[in-house]
Amino acid sequence: MNRNSTRYTVAFTFIVCAFFVFFLALANDLTKEKVAANRRFTERSSVLRALGVPFADAGSVDSVYEKEVTELTAGSTVVYRASAEGVPRFARFFSGPALWGTVFGVLAVDAEVGRVSGLQIVSHNETPGLGGRIDESWFKDQFTGERIADAGIRVRQGSGKGDGDSENAEVDAVTGASLTSKFMETMVNGEIAALRKLRDEGGLK
Amino acid sequence: MTPDVHPVTLLFASIFTSNILLSNFLGMCSFISISKDYKSSFGLGFAVTIVMTITMVVSWAVLKFVIEPLGIEYLSFIIFIIVIAAIVQMLEMLIDRISPALYLALGIFLPLITVNCAILGAILFMQIRSYDFAQTLTFGIGSGAGWWLAIMLLSAIRKKVDVAPVPAGLKGPGITVITIGFMAMAFIGFSGMLTVQ
Amino acid sequence: MSAAKKRGKAMTVLIDNLWWNNPVFIQILGICSTLAVTNNLTNTFIMTVGVSLATAFSSWTLAGMNTFIPNKVRMIVQVLVISFYVIIIDIVLRAYMPDVSRSLGPYVGLIITNCIIMGRAEAFARSNPPLISFWDGLTSGFGYMAVLMAIAAVRELLGFGSLFGIPVLSAAFGDRFVPWTIMIMAPSAFFLLALAMWGLKSLQESMKAAPPAAGGAKPQGSAK
Repeated sequence: MNRNSTRYTVAFTFIVCAFFVFFLALANDLTKEKVAANRRFTERSSVLRALGVPFADAGSVDSVYEKEVTELTAGSTVVYRASAEGVPRFARFFSGPALWGTVFGVLAVDAEVGRVSGLQIVSHNETPGLGGRIDESWFKDQFTGERIADAGIRVRQGSGKGDGDSENAEVDAVTGASLTSKFMETMVNGEIAALRKLRDEGGLK
Repeated sequence: MTPDVHPVTLLFASIFTSNILLSNFLGMCSFISISKDYKSSFGLGFAVTIVMTITMVVSWAVLKFVIEPLGIEYLSFIIFIIVIAAIVQMLEMLIDRISPALYLALGIFLPLITVNCAILGAILFMQIRSYDFAQTLTFGIGSGAGWWLAIMLLSAIRKKVDVAPVPAGLKGPGITVITIGFMAMAFIGFSGMLTVQ
Repeated sequence: MSAAKKRGKAMTVLIDNLWWNNPVFIQILGICSTLAVTNNLTNTFIMTVGVSLATAFSSWTLAGMNTFIPNKVRMIVQVLVISFYVIIIDIVLRAYMPDVSRSLGPYVGLIITNCIIMGRAEAFARSNPPLISFWDGLTSGFGYMAVLMAIAAVRELLGFGSLFGIPVLSAAFGDRFVPWTIMIMAPSAFFLLALAMWGLKSLQESMKAAPPAAGGAKPQGSAK
């Protein structure tokens, strides 16, 4: 058959497409469960870290989570509660738009929404090495134990290495990623406002 | 979730503050090679803008009405590439039939555009950021126009730079890359202008 | 070809792709997406490994399909094969190295548009047997990796004070280390790339001008 005839061209393209798409579907199917398990692991370990509940290693995440964390349904959202250091803490997933897409994270606070217990990032699409640095420990650790002022928490340009002061209600932005940092500020304060509303409605018990 | 950005703001943002070429580095290869010639830069930029707009809108439709309902997101890359190739092919045939003169001026660039990273890159951004139709349209026009602007600027600068006494090792691509670096720095200066991205 | 000739050709391809015809500073390919990730050695390493593997496997597959591909759809088939391998890489990362997948984000998908892969498919895989095409793709990726890792090393060291995330300058100088912010941002990649081009090209020119008796492999044809 002539390699360049129309019939051959169409048949060839069709067969090649089908062949490759079949293998992609296969690969996707084989890894679907692993990807879902990874996602669940990330979400659960993020909740545990934000709440300040320690776990020994990756293998114990599921058991510690099931033992320590209670899932409360408050209206249309789920609040995760755990006691850490004898004090009840509450966490919720939040999301918001950022530079390259949506950022998903967990914010944990105490019962009065007066202090942050922890912040974790579950997923983001920011530029690796720039906006993506919101997922680095120095940035997230700034929020641990941070006091929440009336106006919330300010993300401002600082040394870029992490603000150690837990009383000033301020954290350092990511150097070179001022826009992503601004988006984070909006997101965190939006979540704080939502948590305050939940507290007032009696949802944080 | 669709970001809360007004389409017109997005238009200006994609031209200046997040220029597809100078802020996101997509579409470099043809950028460096074609910017040698002012006239070709104009032609290529124009072609890129047209192709970008049409493929963006078609890809958005394919995403909304085919990919998402069928749940085949993992095939997105392949489907988008095929969409781009098909549209470029059809455009080539269309232009050839309507205006042979236009084909002579523009036609040679079209195969080059199929592999232009900027087109696929912009479509992937649209998918990641979940733009709606109006945003997709202005983002497509803006990204193309931004690329066009950048290549026109570079070819204008190169007119002077290419005849300047540059050390042998830097001649050609070397000094072009440095020029692009300065342009990128200049465009960073726009970033406070629009509070979107 | 005899075994010795095959080894010889493989060696030539390796040295060509690493030096005389390096994809980055000679052919000026593959500049696009990776410039943005080179502020960080770890990400650069993963990206360039991904590009090397994608190029190698795509060239191998396309060389094998050579006799069957109709002319009209040549480019589409090339892109199809390349997309296939990149999606596989994306799926593998997402399932078995989720942290890496998260930090690279959308850039994995943009490997498809990396001009090097298409370039090697057109220039080499079209007219060479599969095995050597695989090698050509892999070594092109290595040539690419070498230059980008060098740039990333400078950027990460001066911008973050670390290498592969391990504090080096920031540990040595402590608080006196002031990170050079421009190194974290995009324009520095261009300037460093230009410097690399300048240095390496000049070195190449002087090597070519040197008398042939001075050892080393001679360039195959002319470097473009």
